[in-house]
Amino acid sequence: MTEKTEYEITIGIETHVQLKTKTKLFSEVDNDARGKEPNSCVSPIDYALPGMLPRLNGEAVKIAVRAGTAMNCKINPRSRFDRKHYFYPDSPKGYQITQFYSPIIGAGFITLPSGKKVRIEHAHLEGDAGKLSHFDDYSLVDLNRVDTPLIEIVSMPDIKSAAEARDYCKELWRIMTYADVTEGDLYNGNMRFDVNISLAPKGSKTLGTRAEIKNLNSFRSIERAVEYEYSRQKKLLDAGEKVIQETRGWSDATGKTTSQRSKEEAQDYRYMPEPDLPPLNLSEDFVKTEAKKCPALPADYREQFKTSVPAETLEVILDYPELARRLAEVESAASSGNAVEYTANLFASVLLAEENQSLLNDNLPSAAQLKELSEMKSKNELSSTAAKEVFLKLFETKHVNKSARELAKELNLIQENDSAALEKIVDKVLENPATKSAQADFKAGKEKVLGFLVGQVMKESRGKANPSAVQEILRKKLA
Amino acid sequence: MDITEKELEHLASLSNLSLSETEKTGLKKDLKNIISYISQLDELDVENVPPTYQVFEMENVWRDDEIKPMETSREDLLALTVESFDNQIKVPKVL
Amino acid sequence: MKIADKNTSAVSLVEKSLKRIEETKEYNIFTFIDNARALEKAKKIDEKIKRGEPVGRLAGVPFALKSNFLSKDRPANASAKILTDFPSPLNSTCAELLENEDAICVGCVNLDAFAHGSSTENSFFGPTLNSKDKSRVAGGSSGGSAVAVALDCVEFATGTDTGGSIRQPASFNGVYGIKPTYGATSRYGVVAMASSLDVIGFFAKTPSDLDLLMEICAKRDEKDLTSLPDFYAESPETFPKKKIGIIKDFMESEKLDPEIKSALEEKVASLKKKGFEIIELEMPTLKYALAAYYIIQPAEVASNLSRYDGIRYAFRSKNSKDLDSLFKNTRGEGFMPENKRRIMIGNFVLSSGFYDAYFLKAAKARTLIIREFNAAFEKVDCILSPTSPNPAFKLGEKVSDPVSMYLEDVMSVPVNLAGLPALAFPLGKSKSGLDLGAQLIGPRRSDKQLINLVKELN
Repeated sequence: MTEKTEYEITIGIETHVQLKTKTKLFSEVDNDARGKEPNSCVSPIDYALPGMLPRLNGEAVKIAVRAGTAMNCKINPRSRFDRKHYFYPDSPKGYQITQFYSPIIGAGFITLPSGKKVRIEHAHLEGDAGKLSHFDDYSLVDLNRVDTPLIEIVSMPDIKSAAEARDYCKELWRIMTYADVTEGDLYNGNMRFDVNISLAPKGSKTLGTRAEIKNLNSFRSIERAVEYEYSRQKKLLDAGEKVIQETRGWSDATGKTTSQRSKEEAQDYRYMPEPDLPPLNLSEDFVKTEAKKCPALPADYREQFKTSVPAETLEVILDYPELARRLAEVESAASSGNAVEYTANLFASVLLAEENQSLLNDNLPSAAQLKELSEMKSKNELSSTAAKEVFLKLFETKHVNKSARELAKELNLIQENDSAALEKIVDKVLENPATKSAQADFKAGKEKVLGFLVGQVMKESRGKANPSAVQEILRKKLA
Repeated sequence: MDITEKELEHLASLSNLSLSETEKTGLKKDLKNIISYISQLDELDVENVPPTYQVFEMENVWRDDEIKPMETSREDLLALTVESFDNQIKVPKVL
Repeated sequence: MKIADKNTSAVSLVEKSLKRIEETKEYNIFTFIDNARALEKAKKIDEKIKRGEPVGRLAGVPFALKSNFLSKDRPANASAKILTDFPSPLNSTCAELLENEDAICVGCVNLDAFAHGSSTENSFFGPTLNSKDKSRVAGGSSGGSAVAVALDCVEFATGTDTGGSIRQPASFNGVYGIKPTYGATSRYGVVAMASSLDVIGFFAKTPSDLDLLMEICAKRDEKDLTSLPDFYAESPETFPKKKIGIIKDFMESEKLDPEIKSALEEKVASLKKKGFEIIELEMPTLKYALAAYYIIQPAEVASNLSRYDGIRYAFRSKNSKDLDSLFKNTRGEGFMPENKRRIMIGNFVLSSGFYDAYFLKAAKARTLIIREFNAAFEKVDCILSPTSPNPAFKLGEKVSDPVSMYLEDVMSVPVNLAGLPALAFPLGKSKSGLDLGAQLIGPRRSDKQLINLVKELN
């Protein structure tokens, strides 16, 4: 019985990203079939009638350039399309139009929040397949998704843990949504991840045999699937058995991966240059122009808020491009320093709190409103509870055109800080016979009755007095 | 170059063709002759010659991203299939 | 050709055409005859003419579509079982351009299934017979088109030329056939054979008719990204040099039929009289063109025929218990033997381990062939060449021996590999009364000059 070997896990990930174009990759048909009837977004080209020819969507080419730039990738000026042949009812032409021999996007890398770099091997344009649904003794074919534009992003095997796999996929998802490449709706399959996992003894020069888990579409399932696959392969290797190179499917329900197709009978796709589409030869200017259209990315915001917002707060916010963008607006609008950090906290701890998340669908307060709100808070014109209340109310459509101050006034939440006015109220309370005994107790050293007296003053001020200010005055007067 | 039974079976499955025994015997002979004919190319020196896949001078030919009315309706298309159900194409169960 | 006008009614032209089609039934030319629709359209055109309204440039002219052209509500079966029962839901660009000029489609004509062949014997509907000798082949793949024009069933017919499918049948039947520059005419809506080689062209009785048809159909089409910007109308009328090349290897080939050879030599002599300089060209790479062609073409054929799987349209095998047998039996029963050969060869040259040795090598050979033509066109305006080594051969003579059938294309395929225009024209008759033919090959975009030169030759 030899002692257990230590294994090193190596992970490479292929990501399919659906591009947010109006039309499909090769036909002038609506590309957004969500909630539409089966086969209602299918042209004769998608249906692969005889004699139909693909009509390349120029927007997909431009978006691919933007996506490549967002991943620090070289854009290959010369690229072309190829046919990948396989027979399946979801593939009307009997081949998929992809880029096998010369893809549009070359090598690059993305940087994870941890600072780790994961290299991109290449990425290419291709058309998506249709959908099958299975019944007892037949299957139904819906071709709505046929030739929805995709880019497939192939990473190098740089990923070393389940958590890192999750982080890579999540960061890639953020980059693609920030770069406006995709709607990024994981539930609807806008991004799908194929994860290749292999184990090898620590320090070994050669990689182990890999299994590929196909079609993962949530970060949680990616992490769980990798963890499961690690222990499955480790068990095999410990028992001296072989890992077979195969495609496996993940089930969230069982928390297991199961064998789908063994690569032994791997298909021969007979890639052939696509004769129906002229090649691409992109000028430097074209690439520059499209690259310039790429909006700020998570990495840019990390840099921008390095000093003003705590990392963990920012990471929460970065899941929502619109919040990151608004935060950047607040910074350029704000004079005082802490407006950004305060707004970041409102976003992270108030807006994104379970009970308020629904507000994300309502109208996000403007930079001006948020700036004013944080200034009122810092001037103690609003208590933190009051500030939160105003913040939440600002999401309501009816308040869109009000300034934070107007709304605070309307809600009667502005604190009384004017000490002269406060003293009047305090005196009024102290003159009230009902407080005499408490006053006596305090003078006798019973600290805790101060709370009662403050409460009385707050009541008298209808909540608008600043409690800390009130305390000071009481101490002075009862000294 | 002779075509073995196994190679013929492989090509038939790549081609997704069912072939009768007589077809197979015929094809074995024909493929052998055709392949030996096209193998003449081996005499040709193509070193450092770039391949030609298409014979026109055009590049970057693409269209705008605008939805246009389709030439056929869903009904036109589904009417062409042997069996449709619930606006989808019905096929034997895919395992 | 006769265009309908005040003196000649479209109806009379169509009736004459339909009568001829009836008289020539035994030649097995048509796969579909559209009497009712043709006559109805003819009546409409005559009424227009009566009312003095403007009509198209082809008003009332009866024509035939090769059965691999899609045209709305007509069967586009490509003479293949697997495409039977396929009423086309839309129009090919070419059919639409012709009908917009008020030409009248009287029906669809026979071809080798999916245009795979040089004799029209590989048709699901049986062979079309040669217009001069019923014991001989029509040529192919556009045999039906050539014979339909040769026997006066129609004024003109459409065709497709991937390796000679317009020029060879034209020469076998004594009519004119143009294979335009690759990309000059739109391939949209025409059943694809080999996409990088396919060209849509025409058969007619005079070069002037071909000129008019090119005026109408040689147009940029946004539905075909490989179609060229318009050039035909603006292209020069004649070639600059008055120098014509002949290919030594072709003229001296022992396969070349002596009667074709002497007919060509007469033509050369008459050209010299007309003041043309004849230059003999050494084109040593051309002898590899056929091998390269029979790699590239089957590869693209195998790919383009992948969509015929019985799922979405046309024929689906009844004997399918599961998806796999549905695919295999539909294709096994639906394709003709020659279709299957090409699919198998195509998948062989593309399969892993053979791609570089065959497909890639052929693509490089293609470059050398193009270079050889470019060099030739430095010296000459155009090239005069036999269309095929021999006149129409006997039915059944070659159909069982694919390689000898492929050798029919040896003089026509180089043109397709290089995407050049070529015009087949009659060269008189053999002693036995068979049609002889030759082709003129020009540089890309010289289609109009070729047509005008052939006019001059007559």
